[in-house]
Amino acid sequence: METILLLVAAEEDGGLGKPALEAATAARELAARLEGAKLLAGIFGAQAGRAGAALAGAGFGEALLVEHESLARARFATDAAACQALVAASGASLVLAPATSRLQRVLAAVSARCRGAVDTHATALGAESGAVHATRWFYRQRMVGRVSRERRPWFLSLEPGVFAPHAASGDLVSRPVPAPLPESRTRVEGLRSPSSGAQTIRPDAPLLFVAGAGWCKKQADGLAHVSEAERLILGFLGKSGASLGGSKSVVDQKGEGGALSFLTHLNQVGQTGSTPRHAKGLATCCHGEEPHTVGWRFVSGRRAVNLDANCGWAQGKADVLYVADAFKVMARVNELLAG
Amino acid sequence: MPVFHVVVCGGLVPDPLQTLEPVQGPAGWGLKNESMLPAILDPWAASALFEADSLARANPGSRVWLVSAAPKAKLQQVLMALAQKAAFELVAVDAQAGGFSDAAECASALAAAVNSIAGLDRSRLLLFGGWESASRGAGATLAILGEMLGISEQFQGVDQASPKPDGSLEILERVEGGRHQVSLLSAPPALLGWATGSLPEPPNNPQVGMLNMRSAMPALQKAAPSRLTGGGLALSSVELPSQRRDTRVVKDMPEDQVAREIVEWIAEK
Amino acid sequence: MTPSQPEFQRPSMRADVVCVGFGPATAGFLMTLTQGLAGADGAPALESRVMPGAPPQVLCYERADDLGYGVSGVVTRGRGLKESFPGLDFGSLPLYSEVAEEQVLYLLDPLGASRRPALVRAADRLLKSLPFLARDHAFRLPYVPSFLHKKGGFTFSLGQFNQWVGGLLMSTGLAQVWPASPVAGALIENGRVEGVRLADQGVDARGNLEPGYLPGMDVRAALTVVGDGPVGQVGRQLDRHFGLPKGAQRHEWAVGMKAVVELSPDCPLKPGTVIHTLGYPEPEIFGFLYVYPNRLASAGIFVPSWFDNPGRTAYRYLQHWMQHPALWRHLRGSEMKSWGAKSLLESGIRGEPFLVGDGWARVGENSGSTNVLTGSGVDEAWTTGVQLGRAVVELWRRGLPFDRENLEKAYVRRRRSSWVEREGRAGRKARDGFQKGFVQGMLGMALTGFSKGLLGWPGRPLQPHQRVPTLEKYAAGRLDAAQAAELRRQSQAGGRGVHDGLMDAAGWPRPTLDGRLLVSHQDALLKGGKVRASGRYADHVVILKPELCADCGEKVCVDMCSGQALTPGADGVPVFDREKCVHCGACLWNCAKVAEPATGQTNLDFRAGAGGLHSAEN
Repeated sequence: METILLLVAAEEDGGLGKPALEAATAARELAARLEGAKLLAGIFGAQAGRAGAALAGAGFGEALLVEHESLARARFATDAAACQALVAASGASLVLAPATSRLQRVLAAVSARCRGAVDTHATALGAESGAVHATRWFYRQRMVGRVSRERRPWFLSLEPGVFAPHAASGDLVSRPVPAPLPESRTRVEGLRSPSSGAQTIRPDAPLLFVAGAGWCKKQADGLAHVSEAERLILGFLGKSGASLGGSKSVVDQKGEGGALSFLTHLNQVGQTGSTPRHAKGLATCCHGEEPHTVGWRFVSGRRAVNLDANCGWAQGKADVLYVADAFKVMARVNELLAG
Repeated sequence: MPVFHVVVCGGLVPDPLQTLEPVQGPAGWGLKNESMLPAILDPWAASALFEADSLARANPGSRVWLVSAAPKAKLQQVLMALAQKAAFELVAVDAQAGGFSDAAECASALAAAVNSIAGLDRSRLLLFGGWESASRGAGATLAILGEMLGISEQFQGVDQASPKPDGSLEILERVEGGRHQVSLLSAPPALLGWATGSLPEPPNNPQVGMLNMRSAMPALQKAAPSRLTGGGLALSSVELPSQRRDTRVVKDMPEDQVAREIVEWIAEK
Repeated sequence: MTPSQPEFQRPSMRADVVCVGFGPATAGFLMTLTQGLAGADGAPALESRVMPGAPPQVLCYERADDLGYGVSGVVTRGRGLKESFPGLDFGSLPLYSEVAEEQVLYLLDPLGASRRPALVRAADRLLKSLPFLARDHAFRLPYVPSFLHKKGGFTFSLGQFNQWVGGLLMSTGLAQVWPASPVAGALIENGRVEGVRLADQGVDARGNLEPGYLPGMDVRAALTVVGDGPVGQVGRQLDRHFGLPKGAQRHEWAVGMKAVVELSPDCPLKPGTVIHTLGYPEPEIFGFLYVYPNRLASAGIFVPSWFDNPGRTAYRYLQHWMQHPALWRHLRGSEMKSWGAKSLLESGIRGEPFLVGDGWARVGENSGSTNVLTGSGVDEAWTTGVQLGRAVVELWRRGLPFDRENLEKAYVRRRRSSWVEREGRAGRKARDGFQKGFVQGMLGMALTGFSKGLLGWPGRPLQPHQRVPTLEKYAAGRLDAAQAAELRRQSQAGGRGVHDGLMDAAGWPRPTLDGRLLVSHQDALLKGGKVRASGRYADHVVILKPELCADCGEKVCVDMCSGQALTPGADGVPVFDREKCVHCGACLWNCAKVAEPATGQTNLDFRAGAGGLHSAEN
């Protein structure tokens, strides 16, 4: 019989983030498939007590809390100690956590402390005859596998954007858990946005705009038009509210013709970049085969604008490919959006 | 000026440009023609190595070790592409570790290798590696290794680590929304799982390469074999996603009309 | 910033031997050398000449990003290879298969689009009238001529083999082979080669200094071994500096383009099957299909410099060749796993340059080792490397300097008395007839082959630019002058070559892409054999005199570019995109303009550059 602990961090305002609420749904659904499973929540943070309310109605027996000022911000030493205490207090055999930067930072180490096993970035959970399995991607989203383990506690982090977020209803009983929080040599100073100007990465945007290396290449007139490309792309991001991704080649670009000044490695999707989740994706001036296109593996509706009808970014991967000059198209798109 | 002892852990992964296909063999899941696929040092571990090299050069007296668990022949091959780019002392573990290996089991093999490093000053230790790998992509091995080595300060998704004259480091970790969390680490030891960092790939320096190979070849020859058995990870299936979409290719449509279609599509709920 | 500023002092180091390029020739050299340098216990038995007391310092610099990246479909009798590895189970090498069955197919033209001389057309009509002779529009020669067959030979992956040898070499600790290290040129001082200079890093495409500039190192060595292939920068530099021996010429070339394909499960071809083809898609284009184990096969064509077509292209012809009914019945349902192309120096022994000089020696294809009659090059290249390896060990042991005289005695003499030389000489007239035409060429090959080199069809080889016809002349009868001019204009405006227009006019149907074997040219670059280019180096394809290009009506460089890396350019000067360059070097000899009449240097230079194909499956 499994005891499932949902491990989440309270936000600074005492709420729970969307990935945590999604993980709550996953935990509830898994518990429903396992006969006799016990479902608990473990919350840590400076305002952990207030956060429990957001989990009400999801079938949790109770919420275990580690609440302390030093948990206001993510920091390995204190977060790991809090998580360890919650797992120990729960007696959990399965520990589920959202794969946020905060939980990902500590989960594997805590699994080692608890002499458990860990798998991360699960995109689905299931159970057959009482045996739990998880689905996750391997080799940068190039292949998908189903994993299971005998060892307990088994720690699993869940990819954000996969499950529907839980909507709270009713109350949830909570219980503080003592956790000796260690001294740390790390002092968290705060958050910093890239200094390169506008914030272009918007995980919650419905649309991902992917810029490819073609934007910086020589056009039909034999010249590169990088500043025009910058103007068009930033103009579009401003009007559409889209998040900006870049192919590896455009992010890496330098030298001849210059590169898009506002793109950093944080924007990179695919290969060694991110694989963000958005409802729609518009790829422009991208070209590449399978390894490159994993960047929009988790984008639902996909369209592309490219001069090559056989573009690997699009053929068999996009819903629609417009064989057209992206400079002209995006200029007109911006006009239409402005109008 | 501070002195660091940087241990960089990094595995080998197939050149990301290759086409990959899973196959199940007697020893479990692997990649089709795995031994024939060109390999590289994991891209994030490579970032870590380049950052380590830069840190060591800026702080004289510092040392850099590269700990890697991989089949010897592959490791030797990858070294030739790598050894001209950064100065390091190689610690090799002869093991077949890939995307379907267990993170904790790999961490154990690496821990034994790190513990065997002569002259490593734990009070100066910075344990570097990639925050994830291009094979498992779990972000677990390095963290578990850190735990095994008793390192209580860990950072993941690091893009920058700037040492101060007093030996402290300002560390930038990637968090949601394209932002960085800024922390001040007063002193090593610490673990830093690197994202891409901020350094370009270093040029090939033949002198660095010659120097590296003097120690790397003996290290390869005495690489301890380590057999990874799966660490309790069971994979009931691995498959390529069925991903072909029926792409509608629109040619010869005026740009104005293309733009209108796109704007309408964006507006759709 | 200028390179003369003190902070940009060029670093330098010393070595005993430095090699340029790691292909089969250098591999054979290093294998033999390291065996000779090692004592019975594997430790060095000889000491360094430049650093007395230290073990020998043997270095090799390879342009590609890894050892064994590149392309070559190999079927070989493997005599030299077998001799070098007497106890080796060759069957353990990837994609190894003994030659089991060999066929030569003469392909008829099922589409009527091919440009066939009258005699060929007559022969075709005859064969077509006798359907029992020609199956699937192909006539199988009743036997494989003795000079062509590979009986007792084997197919294997050259890429995998090079990686394997590279690993062996490195593990001896007696040689270091460095990939991703292009050599800019040889250091020639007072008539002696003193070593090599590696390419500068931290420069933009045009070679201008950028932040992070790192001058290429001078590697000074007692002996420089040049094995950088047919279009290698250093080999050509030596030719420019020292000239060619009297009577030597390097006018005949070809592009070999091939794909490694996975055959469909129902393909009945057995591993070890070798098919040679001729006659289609154009009579000048030869093809090959080698079947490996695990349903893998190499399928490709050669497009020669004497195919007088200003819009010659390898990729589209490869697609038509694959779809010939006699091949399509094997290739239908297969999938392209990787792809690649390379130049072949088809002058063979006729193009033999000076093999040695003070401080230097040459091995492999750039030394004229390819046998143009037997169509064999890898084993010959390997063997020349072995010969030099033995020579160097001998000189090292005897304490003799690596000067011209000693290298002549120890290396060139070995080479002259070997089968490589003997067979190369027997084949030297084999291709002359092709200078006159396809029929004369075939007759000439047969004459040379059966007479063991005594006879041939006379023909004086011309440089490619001396024989390439104008677009108007080539298209005569299919396009009038106005249509040819329009095709040229469209090519310029569309940023592409003229070959599609020419082939459309000739009646070649545009290939219908199936996304598996028949894929777009750019997708082929991404299939297994992907292309990478480091941004740290200057462009390696350089137009010397742009004004010559502006006047050039036949931009063969664009059409023959294996990766579509050269496009016409708005002002008529071709634009180079190194991210598509597979380093085949075809642009060098396909350029239709001469920049330096004295040396025959075309207007397009092919220099040291990093990157290229990322594939070791070949």
